[in-house]
Amino acid sequence: MTDARKLQGDKLSEAEAIERAKLGDAEAFQLLYSLHKRRVYSLCLRMTANTAEAEDLTQEAFLQLFRKIATFRGESAFSTWLHRMAVNVVLMQLRKKSLPVVPLEETLENEDEAPKRELGAADPLLSGSIDRLRLQRAVDALPPGYRRIFVLHDVEGYEHNEIATMVGCSIGNSKSQLHKARMKLREALKTSRAEKAAKP
Amino acid sequence: MNCEQFQEILPEVIDGGRNVEQETHLQSCPVCSGLVADLSLISQEARQLQEFADPAPRVWNAIEIALRREGLIREPRLGPALLPPVKHRWSFAWLAPVTAAALVAFGVFVYERGAREPQPVAQVPTAAPAAVTNLQTGKSQKSVNNEDQQLLEAVGSRAPTMQAAYASNLQNVNAYIRDAEESAQADPNDEEAQQVVMDAYEQRATVYEMALDRSLP
Repeated sequence: MTDARKLQGDKLSEAEAIERAKLGDAEAFQLLYSLHKRRVYSLCLRMTANTAEAEDLTQEAFLQLFRKIATFRGESAFSTWLHRMAVNVVLMQLRKKSLPVVPLEETLENEDEAPKRELGAADPLLSGSIDRLRLQRAVDALPPGYRRIFVLHDVEGYEHNEIATMVGCSIGNSKSQLHKARMKLREALKTSRAEKAAKP
Repeated sequence: MNCEQFQEILPEVIDGGRNVEQETHLQSCPVCSGLVADLSLISQEARQLQEFADPAPRVWNAIEIALRREGLIREPRLGPALLPPVKHRWSFAWLAPVTAAALVAFGVFVYERGAREPQPVAQVPTAAPAAVTNLQTGKSQKSVNNEDQQLLEAVGSRAPTMQAAYASNLQNVNAYIRDAEESAQADPNDEEAQQVVMDAYEQRATVYEMALDRSLP
Protein backbone atom coordinates (compact mmCIF):
# COMPACT_ATOMS: atom_id res chain seq x y z
CA MET A 1 0.00 0.00 0.00
CA THR A 2 1.55 3.30 -1.08
CA ASP A 3 1.50 6.62 0.73
CA ALA A 4 -1.15 7.78 -1.68
CA ARG A 5 -3.37 4.86 -0.76
CA LYS A 6 -3.09 5.03 2.96
CA LEU A 7 -2.46 7.93 5.27
CA GLN A 8 -0.23 7.56 8.23
CA GLY A 9 -1.46 5.34 10.98
CA ASP A 10 -5.16 4.79 11.33
CA LYS A 11 -6.42 7.78 9.38
CA LEU A 12 -8.59 7.63 6.30
CA SER A 13 -7.51 5.64 3.28
CA GLU A 14 -7.57 7.42 -0.06
CA ALA A 15 -10.63 5.44 -1.16
CA GLU A 16 -12.51 6.43 2.01
CA ALA A 17 -11.45 10.02 1.56
CA ILE A 18 -12.81 10.02 -2.00
CA GLU A 19 -16.17 8.72 -0.80
CA ARG A 20 -16.33 11.26 2.00
CA ALA A 21 -15.29 14.08 -0.32
CA LYS A 22 -18.25 13.16 -2.53
CA LEU A 23 -20.44 13.91 0.51
CA GLY A 24 -18.79 17.28 1.05
CA ASP A 25 -16.46 16.43 3.91
CA ALA A 26 -13.87 19.20 4.33
CA GLU A 27 -11.29 16.93 5.94
CA ALA A 28 -11.51 14.47 3.09
CA PHE A 29 -10.83 17.21 0.55
CA GLN A 30 -7.85 18.36 2.56
CA LEU A 31 -6.52 14.83 2.83
CA LEU A 32 -6.70 14.27 -0.92
CA TYR A 33 -4.99 17.59 -1.46
CA SER A 34 -2.21 16.68 0.98
CA LEU A 35 -1.60 13.35 -0.70
CA HIS A 36 -1.19 14.77 -4.17
CA LYS A 37 -0.18 18.41 -3.82
CA ARG A 38 3.56 17.87 -4.30
CA ARG A 39 3.19 15.88 -7.47
CA VAL A 40 0.66 18.26 -9.01
CA TYR A 41 2.51 21.40 -7.96
CA SER A 42 5.84 20.03 -9.16
CA LEU A 43 4.29 19.21 -12.52
CA CYS A 44 2.88 22.73 -12.81
CA LEU A 45 6.15 24.27 -11.71
CA ARG A 46 8.23 22.26 -14.20
CA MET A 47 5.83 23.01 -17.04
CA THR A 48 5.67 26.75 -16.41
CA ALA A 49 8.96 27.47 -14.63
CA ASN A 50 7.05 30.12 -12.69
CA THR A 51 6.10 29.79 -9.03
CA ALA A 52 3.07 32.06 -8.96
CA GLU A 53 1.68 30.58 -12.15
CA ALA A 54 2.31 27.06 -10.85
CA GLU A 55 0.38 27.83 -7.67
CA ASP A 56 -2.56 29.19 -9.64
CA LEU A 57 -2.58 26.13 -11.87
CA THR A 58 -2.35 23.78 -8.89
CA GLN A 59 -5.34 25.52 -7.38
CA GLU A 60 -7.26 25.28 -10.62
CA ALA A 61 -6.38 21.60 -11.12
CA PHE A 62 -7.58 20.63 -7.65
CA LEU A 63 -10.73 22.71 -7.97
CA GLN A 64 -11.58 21.02 -11.25
CA LEU A 65 -10.91 17.66 -9.67
CA PHE A 66 -13.07 18.35 -6.62
CA ARG A 67 -15.90 19.69 -8.77
CA LYS A 68 -15.91 16.42 -10.71
CA ILE A 69 -15.14 14.05 -7.86
CA ALA A 70 -18.73 12.84 -7.73
CA THR A 71 -18.22 11.36 -11.19
CA PHE A 72 -15.12 9.40 -10.18
CA ARG A 73 -16.05 5.73 -10.31
CA GLY A 74 -12.65 4.24 -9.65
CA GLU A 75 -12.14 2.64 -13.07
CA SER A 76 -8.71 4.25 -13.16
CA ALA A 77 -6.36 5.10 -10.32
CA PHE A 78 -7.29 8.34 -8.64
CA SER A 79 -3.74 9.64 -9.05
CA THR A 80 -3.84 8.93 -12.80
CA TRP A 81 -7.12 10.78 -13.07
CA LEU A 82 -5.82 13.71 -11.08
CA HIS A 83 -2.52 14.00 -12.90
CA ARG A 84 -4.17 13.81 -16.28
CA MET A 85 -6.49 16.58 -15.17
CA ALA A 86 -3.56 18.65 -13.94
CA VAL A 87 -1.76 18.19 -17.24
CA ASN A 88 -4.86 19.26 -19.13
CA VAL A 89 -5.23 22.35 -16.97
CA VAL A 90 -1.61 23.33 -17.57
CA LEU A 91 -1.74 22.67 -21.30
CA MET A 92 -4.97 24.60 -21.64
CA GLN A 93 -3.48 27.49 -19.71
CA LEU A 94 -0.38 27.50 -21.87
CA ARG A 95 -2.53 27.58 -24.99
CA LYS A 96 -4.77 30.28 -23.56
CA LYS A 97 -1.89 32.51 -22.62
CA SER A 98 -0.23 31.91 -25.98
CA LEU A 99 3.09 31.44 -24.32
CA PRO A 100 6.01 31.40 -26.71
CA VAL A 101 5.86 27.65 -27.21
CA VAL A 102 7.67 25.91 -30.01
CA PRO A 103 5.17 25.28 -32.82
CA LEU A 104 4.10 21.67 -32.58
CA GLU A 105 4.58 20.44 -36.09
CA GLU A 106 7.43 22.70 -36.94
CA THR A 107 10.82 21.09 -37.18
CA LEU A 108 13.16 22.93 -34.89
CA GLU A 109 16.31 23.47 -36.77
CA ASN A 110 16.91 27.01 -35.63
CA GLU A 111 20.67 27.21 -35.09
CA ASP A 112 20.23 29.06 -31.80
CA GLU A 113 17.81 26.55 -30.41
CA ALA A 114 18.52 23.18 -31.92
CA PRO A 115 21.21 21.22 -30.14
CA LYS A 116 24.37 20.41 -32.02
CA ARG A 117 25.18 16.94 -33.23
CA GLU A 118 28.00 15.15 -31.47
CA LEU A 119 30.37 14.27 -34.25
CA GLY A 120 34.09 13.92 -33.79
CA ALA A 121 36.01 13.79 -30.55
CA ALA A 122 34.44 12.41 -27.40
CA ASP A 123 33.37 14.89 -24.71
CA PRO A 124 33.66 14.25 -21.01
CA LEU A 125 30.60 12.29 -19.94
CA LEU A 126 28.12 13.45 -17.37
CA SER A 127 28.50 10.06 -15.65
CA GLY A 128 27.35 9.17 -12.16
CA SER A 129 24.35 11.13 -10.96
CA ILE A 130 23.03 14.59 -11.69
CA ASP A 131 22.46 17.06 -8.92
CA ARG A 132 18.72 17.72 -8.63
CA LEU A 133 19.06 21.49 -8.36
CA ARG A 134 21.26 21.72 -11.42
CA LEU A 135 18.85 19.54 -13.33
CA GLN A 136 15.92 21.65 -12.20
CA ARG A 137 17.62 24.85 -13.36
CA ALA A 138 18.51 23.31 -16.68
CA VAL A 139 14.94 22.13 -17.25
CA ASP A 140 13.56 25.55 -16.30
CA ALA A 141 15.86 27.13 -18.87
CA LEU A 142 14.60 24.95 -21.72
CA PRO A 143 12.45 26.55 -24.40
CA PRO A 144 8.80 26.01 -23.35
CA GLY A 145 8.02 23.56 -26.16
CA TYR A 146 10.95 21.30 -25.35
CA ARG A 147 10.26 21.59 -21.65
CA ARG A 148 6.66 20.58 -22.05
CA ILE A 149 7.48 17.33 -23.84
CA PHE A 150 10.44 16.55 -21.59
CA VAL A 151 8.38 16.99 -18.41
CA LEU A 152 5.52 14.90 -19.73
CA HIS A 153 7.76 12.06 -20.92
CA ASP A 154 10.80 11.89 -18.68
CA VAL A 155 9.44 13.41 -15.47
CA GLU A 156 5.81 12.32 -15.52
CA GLY A 157 6.30 9.10 -17.44
CA TYR A 158 3.74 9.52 -20.20
CA GLU A 159 4.28 7.59 -23.45
CA HIS A 160 4.73 9.36 -26.75
CA ASN A 161 1.31 8.28 -28.00
CA GLU A 162 -0.32 9.76 -24.87
CA ILE A 163 1.66 12.98 -25.21
CA ALA A 164 0.74 13.24 -28.87
CA THR A 165 -2.95 13.04 -27.92
CA MET A 166 -2.70 15.45 -24.99
CA VAL A 167 -0.56 18.04 -26.75
CA GLY A 168 -1.98 17.62 -30.22
CA CYS A 169 1.11 16.64 -32.17
CA SER A 170 2.40 13.56 -33.96
CA ILE A 171 4.25 10.81 -32.15
CA GLY A 172 7.32 11.51 -34.28
CA ASN A 173 7.23 15.15 -33.29
CA SER A 174 7.02 14.22 -29.64
CA LYS A 175 10.05 11.95 -29.98
CA SER A 176 11.97 14.58 -31.88
CA GLN A 177 11.28 17.32 -29.33
CA LEU A 178 12.16 15.04 -26.46
CA HIS A 179 15.48 14.19 -28.04
CA LYS A 180 16.28 17.84 -28.62
CA ALA A 181 15.31 18.68 -25.07
CA ARG A 182 17.66 16.02 -23.71
CA MET A 183 20.47 17.24 -25.95
CA LYS A 184 20.03 20.79 -24.72
CA LEU A 185 19.95 19.60 -21.14
CA ARG A 186 23.16 17.69 -21.70
CA GLU A 187 24.84 20.82 -23.02
CA ALA A 188 23.55 22.90 -20.12
CA LEU A 189 24.62 20.37 -17.51
CA LYS A 190 28.09 20.07 -18.99
CA THR A 191 28.47 23.84 -19.03
CA SER A 192 27.27 24.05 -15.47
CA ARG A 193 29.69 21.31 -14.40
CA ALA A 194 32.59 23.03 -16.19
CA GLU A 195 31.78 26.36 -14.51
CA LYS A 196 31.64 24.68 -11.14
CA ALA A 197 34.97 22.99 -11.74
CA ALA A 198 36.58 26.27 -12.81
CA LYS A 199 35.64 27.97 -9.53
CA PRO A 200 38.49 28.09 -7.01
CA MET B 1 26.95 2.84 -40.06
CA ASN B 2 28.75 6.06 -39.17
CA CYS B 3 28.10 8.60 -36.36
CA GLU B 4 26.02 10.91 -38.52
CA GLN B 5 23.74 8.11 -39.60
CA PHE B 6 23.42 6.81 -36.05
CA GLN B 7 22.61 10.20 -34.58
CA GLU B 8 20.08 10.82 -37.32
CA ILE B 9 17.98 7.96 -36.00
CA LEU B 10 18.85 8.47 -32.34
CA PRO B 11 15.44 9.97 -31.34
CA GLU B 12 13.80 6.78 -32.61
CA VAL B 13 16.16 4.27 -31.09
CA ILE B 14 17.22 5.74 -27.78
CA ASP B 15 14.19 4.63 -25.79
CA GLY B 16 13.49 1.56 -27.86
CA GLY B 17 15.32 -1.47 -29.14
CA ARG B 18 18.37 -1.28 -31.38
CA ASN B 19 19.21 -3.53 -34.28
CA VAL B 20 22.48 -5.33 -34.70
CA GLU B 21 24.00 -2.67 -36.94
CA GLN B 22 23.21 0.09 -34.43
CA GLU B 23 24.54 -1.98 -31.52
CA THR B 24 27.75 -2.68 -33.40
CA HIS B 25 28.27 1.01 -34.02
CA LEU B 26 27.61 1.86 -30.38
CA GLN B 27 30.13 -0.67 -29.16
CA SER B 28 32.81 0.64 -31.47
CA CYS B 29 32.13 4.39 -31.10
CA PRO B 30 32.94 6.16 -27.82
CA VAL B 31 31.29 9.41 -28.98
CA CYS B 32 27.91 7.85 -29.72
CA SER B 33 28.00 5.48 -26.76
CA GLY B 34 28.89 8.44 -24.49
CA LEU B 35 26.03 10.43 -25.95
CA VAL B 36 23.56 7.60 -25.41
CA ALA B 37 24.83 7.12 -21.85
CA ASP B 38 24.39 10.82 -21.03
CA LEU B 39 20.92 11.06 -22.54
CA SER B 40 19.83 7.92 -20.70
CA LEU B 41 21.21 9.33 -17.47
CA ILE B 42 19.28 12.60 -17.93
CA SER B 43 16.11 10.65 -18.62
CA GLN B 44 16.66 8.50 -15.54
CA GLU B 45 17.44 11.40 -13.22
CA ALA B 46 14.46 13.41 -14.44
CA ARG B 47 12.21 11.37 -12.18
CA GLN B 48 13.79 13.22 -9.26
CA LEU B 49 11.75 16.22 -10.30
CA GLN B 50 8.42 14.42 -10.03
CA GLU B 51 7.77 15.47 -6.44
CA PHE B 52 10.13 18.30 -6.09
CA ALA B 53 8.40 21.11 -4.24
CA ASP B 54 5.46 21.92 -1.99
CA PRO B 55 2.97 24.62 -2.88
CA ALA B 56 2.55 27.53 -0.46
CA PRO B 57 -0.17 27.11 2.20
CA ARG B 58 -2.20 29.85 0.54
CA VAL B 59 -3.01 27.43 -2.28
CA TRP B 60 -5.03 25.16 -0.01
CA ASN B 61 -6.62 28.16 1.69
CA ALA B 62 -7.83 29.46 -1.66
CA ILE B 63 -9.11 26.01 -2.65
CA GLU B 64 -10.99 25.62 0.63
CA ILE B 65 -12.59 29.05 0.36
CA ALA B 66 -13.69 28.28 -3.21
CA LEU B 67 -15.08 24.88 -2.20
CA ARG B 68 -17.09 26.43 0.61
CA ARG B 69 -18.33 29.23 -1.61
CA GLU B 70 -19.44 26.74 -4.25
CA GLY B 71 -21.13 24.58 -1.62
CA LEU B 72 -18.91 21.56 -2.30
CA ILE B 73 -17.89 21.44 1.34
CA ARG B 74 -21.14 20.73 3.09
CA GLU B 75 -20.04 19.74 6.56
CA PRO B 76 -18.24 21.55 9.34
CA ARG B 77 -14.75 20.35 10.14
CA LEU B 78 -14.61 17.37 12.41
CA GLY B 79 -13.48 18.01 15.94
CA PRO B 80 -14.76 19.49 19.12
CA ALA B 81 -16.86 22.61 18.74
CA LEU B 82 -18.34 24.69 21.48
CA LEU B 83 -21.47 25.35 19.52
CA PRO B 84 -23.82 23.37 17.32
CA PRO B 85 -24.03 24.26 13.62
CA VAL B 86 -24.98 27.85 12.89
CA LYS B 87 -28.62 27.17 12.12
CA HIS B 88 -29.12 25.55 15.53
CA ARG B 89 -27.24 28.02 17.66
CA TRP B 90 -30.30 29.92 18.79
CA SER B 91 -32.02 26.86 20.14
CA PHE B 92 -34.19 27.10 23.23
CA ALA B 93 -31.75 24.88 25.13
CA TRP B 94 -29.06 27.56 25.08
CA LEU B 95 -31.40 30.35 26.08
CA ALA B 96 -32.96 28.37 28.91
CA PRO B 97 -30.30 29.09 31.58
CA VAL B 98 -30.25 32.77 30.70
CA THR B 99 -34.01 33.02 30.92
CA ALA B 100 -34.06 31.09 34.16
CA ALA B 101 -31.36 33.31 35.61
CA ALA B 102 -33.34 36.40 34.60
CA LEU B 103 -36.49 35.14 36.31
CA VAL B 104 -34.65 34.23 39.49
CA ALA B 105 -32.86 37.60 39.50
CA PHE B 106 -36.17 39.37 39.08
CA GLY B 107 -37.67 37.43 42.01
CA VAL B 108 -34.72 38.18 44.27
CA PHE B 109 -34.80 41.84 43.28
CA VAL B 110 -38.49 42.18 44.12
CA TYR B 111 -37.98 40.36 47.42
CA GLU B 112 -35.00 42.49 48.46
CA ARG B 113 -36.62 45.75 47.43
CA GLY B 114 -39.56 44.99 49.69
CA ALA B 115 -37.45 43.84 52.63
CA ARG B 116 -34.64 46.40 52.73
CA GLU B 117 -34.09 50.14 52.57
CA PRO B 118 -32.46 51.49 49.42
CA GLN B 119 -28.68 51.56 49.73
CA PRO B 120 -25.99 53.44 47.83
CA VAL B 121 -25.15 51.48 44.74
CA ALA B 122 -21.68 50.11 44.33
CA GLN B 123 -19.72 51.41 41.38
CA VAL B 124 -20.74 49.48 38.28
CA PRO B 125 -19.14 49.25 34.87
CA THR B 126 -20.27 51.43 32.02
CA ALA B 127 -23.32 50.47 30.04
CA ALA B 128 -23.42 47.15 28.30
CA PRO B 129 -23.23 48.40 24.68
CA ALA B 130 -19.92 50.07 25.46
CA ALA B 131 -18.52 46.80 26.70
CA VAL B 132 -19.75 45.08 23.57
CA THR B 133 -18.20 47.67 21.31
CA ASN B 134 -14.91 47.35 23.11
CA LEU B 135 -14.91 43.61 22.72
CA GLN B 136 -15.74 43.85 19.05
CA THR B 137 -12.92 46.25 18.42
CA GLY B 138 -10.40 43.85 19.84
CA LYS B 139 -10.35 44.61 23.53
CA SER B 140 -8.02 42.27 25.33
CA GLN B 141 -9.35 39.26 27.17
CA LYS B 142 -7.97 40.78 30.37
CA SER B 143 -10.07 43.93 29.94
CA VAL B 144 -13.12 41.85 29.23
CA ASN B 145 -12.46 39.82 32.34
CA ASN B 146 -12.08 43.03 34.39
CA GLU B 147 -15.40 44.34 33.12
CA ASP B 148 -17.08 41.07 33.91
CA GLN B 149 -15.53 41.09 37.35
CA GLN B 150 -16.82 44.63 38.01
CA LEU B 151 -20.28 43.63 36.90
CA LEU B 152 -20.25 40.58 39.13
CA GLU B 153 -19.14 42.69 42.09
CA ALA B 154 -22.02 45.06 41.42
CA VAL B 155 -24.44 42.16 41.24
CA GLY B 156 -22.92 40.70 44.41
CA SER B 157 -23.43 43.91 46.33
CA ARG B 158 -27.13 43.98 45.52
CA ALA B 159 -28.06 40.32 45.11
CA PRO B 160 -25.30 38.01 46.37
CA THR B 161 -27.33 34.89 45.58
CA MET B 162 -27.38 35.83 41.90
CA GLN B 163 -23.64 36.32 41.52
CA ALA B 164 -22.86 32.67 40.69
CA ALA B 165 -25.65 32.53 38.10
CA TYR B 166 -24.39 35.68 36.38
CA ALA B 167 -20.81 34.41 36.47
CA SER B 168 -21.96 31.27 34.72
CA ASN B 169 -23.98 33.27 32.18
CA LEU B 170 -21.03 35.49 31.36
CA GLN B 171 -18.78 32.48 30.97
CA ASN B 172 -21.25 30.90 28.56
CA VAL B 173 -21.83 34.00 26.53
CA ASN B 174 -18.07 34.72 26.24
CA ALA B 175 -17.46 31.16 25.05
CA TYR B 176 -20.27 31.67 22.57
CA ILE B 177 -18.66 34.85 21.28
CA ARG B 178 -15.26 33.19 20.91
CA ASP B 179 -16.71 30.29 18.99
CA ALA B 180 -18.82 32.53 16.78
CA GLU B 181 -15.78 34.68 15.99
CA GLU B 182 -13.73 31.63 15.11
CA SER B 183 -16.42 30.46 12.71
CA ALA B 184 -16.61 33.88 11.11
CA GLN B 185 -12.85 34.14 10.78
CA ALA B 186 -12.68 30.69 9.19
CA ASP B 187 -14.93 31.90 6.41
CA PRO B 188 -15.14 35.69 6.19
CA ASN B 189 -17.66 35.38 3.35
CA ASP B 190 -20.16 33.49 5.47
CA GLU B 191 -22.84 36.07 6.20
CA GLU B 192 -24.68 33.74 8.50
CA ALA B 193 -21.57 33.32 10.63
CA GLN B 194 -21.17 37.11 10.80
CA GLN B 195 -24.77 37.40 11.93
CA VAL B 196 -24.13 34.85 14.65
CA VAL B 197 -21.24 36.98 15.93
CA MET B 198 -23.58 39.98 16.15
CA ASP B 199 -26.18 37.85 17.90
CA ALA B 200 -23.58 36.63 20.37
CA TYR B 201 -22.61 40.19 21.26
CA GLU B 202 -26.27 41.12 21.64
CA GLN B 203 -26.63 38.21 24.00
CA ARG B 204 -23.77 39.54 26.09
CA ALA B 205 -25.38 42.98 26.10
CA THR B 206 -28.61 41.43 27.32
CA VAL B 207 -26.81 39.77 30.23
CA TYR B 208 -25.24 43.13 31.14
CA GLU B 209 -28.59 44.94 30.91
CA MET B 210 -30.26 42.36 33.11
CA ALA B 211 -27.47 42.57 35.68
CA LEU B 212 -27.50 46.36 35.73
CA ASP B 213 -31.26 46.53 36.00
CA ARG B 214 -31.10 44.28 39.02
CA SER B 215 -28.32 46.32 40.56
CA LEU B 216 -29.86 49.75 40.23
CA PRO B 217 -32.28 51.00 42.86
